[in-house]
Formats: sequence, structure tokens, C-alpha cells
Amino acid sequence: MARAVWKGPFVDSYVLKKAEKSRESGRNEVIKIWSRRSTILPQFVGLTFGVYNGKKHVPVLVSEDMIGQKFGEYSPTRTYYGHMADKKAKRK
Amino acid sequence: MSADRVCVGALAGAFGVNGEVRVKSFCAEPEAVADYGPLWSEDGTRRFALTLTQPIKTGFAARIDGVATKEDADALRGIRLYADRDALPELPEDEFYHADLVGLEVRDTGGAVLGRVRAVLNHGAGDLLEVAGPELGEPVLLPFTQEAVPTVDLASGRIVADPPEGLFPDG
Repeated sequence: MARAVWKGPFVDSYVLKKAEKSRESGRNEVIKIWSRRSTILPQFVGLTFGVYNGKKHVPVLVSEDMIGQKFGEYSPTRTYYGHMADKKAKRK
Repeated sequence: MSADRVCVGALAGAFGVNGEVRVKSFCAEPEAVADYGPLWSEDGTRRFALTLTQPIKTGFAARIDGVATKEDADALRGIRLYADRDALPELPEDEFYHADLVGLEVRDTGGAVLGRVRAVLNHGAGDLLEVAGPELGEPVLLPFTQEAVPTVDLASGRIVADPPEGLFPDG
């Protein structure tokens, strides 16, 4: 069953506090969080979170198209490297 | 294997009884495996001219010049296919092949060596460079952005990184 709309999106309160503190300080830092279940909110856009995957904190740079997803979706808990072949990386 | 070749696929045995082979592609666009000219075996001694005939469940069926029977095709099972690095098309600025980035030395803005790029990952939130080095216990994931990686110098095999605070152990 989907979450009731009247409740609004779920976010652990410490994530909100850490994000607000980081934004106010204006420092270029990774905000370490363990809450994979928290929803990505519009005020997180542009911040870099280190989302714990059970072993380490994976850097997640939040962009607009990630709003509404959960942090855990961008921090996989299993390792898969695959082959390099002709795969490309783009510097944003 | 020559350092200027990249693995783009592998042969997985015969397809049918007419000398066709099954090809597994490791490319971003799977059908591109046949676009990079003649392919080579890992030791560079064998050359394969590949023509894809049809997509199949495990990849592609293909014909290879000089392979006419099922027995010949079966004998090729397990061979990895390498393309010349020069055969890959040029990329626009700020786009790089993973094969070019892996192995580059990573230095901070002060010139201190942080490690080497071990892999390039993408979990949906942008590309990440996995940096490993003797000074680092665990490999560190560095966001591949203009802010965190201001300079990529392929010619000198070096990356200059300005990592966010708290990413590297003493950073």
C-alpha cells in the first residue's frame, strides 16, 4: 500500500538537520548518512551525501531528477564491476 | 594483452551446425562489438573478422572468417575479444573511456599522491572513480565532477583531485 499523501514524504530528521547545517556552512563536504530509507527532497539538490551501503559511504550528488527517490537506490549493497569495454564516463 | 587494446566481448562456442559462433558483448551498446574492426585474442596472436548475423538469447550469433564448421566454432569457446584502443571513436570534451581513466595516478591540488583509479562506477547518481592506494585502507569513491576532479591529463597519466572534505582519510 502506498504511503498516505497527507503525511508527506518520509525523511529521517537527522538527515534534514545535517543537510541544513551543511547548506548554511557552505562547505564542500560529504554529508555522511545511514538512512537509506529517507526520501530525497528538493532542498537536497546540489548537496553530496555519503550514503552507507553496509560497508562504506557512497557519494551521491543529488540532482533534480532524483527528487522523490530514496537515498538507498543510489548506493548499491552488492559489488559488480563488469567490463570496461567502450563504456564512457562524463564529467559533470 | 597489449595495453592499447580493450576487451569488448568473448566467444561462447558454436551457434547451430553451420560454423556460426555465439558472441557475448561487453559494450555499452551490445551490437557495437562488431564495429571496432578486426578483433584480437588476449595474446594478440589471433585475429577475428566478425560479422553479426542475428541477436540471440545470450548475445549475438556471428560469422568469423575462416571458421566454417561447428567443430571450429566450438574450439573458440572462451576466447576473449580485444579491440584496438585506436578503433574507438573520439569523444567530446569531458567524456572519457573507462579504459583510459583506469590506472591514472590521482594527486591532490598540492601534488601529493592519493592513489590510482581502480575502476569507474555509476550507480545512477553520476560517475564515481574508485581510488585505491597503499596509503588508503579501503578504496575511496571520488565523484567524477568538475569540482572534485578539475584536471584529467591523459597524456601524462594523471588526475588532479580536489575532493570534498571527509572523503579521504586525512582530507
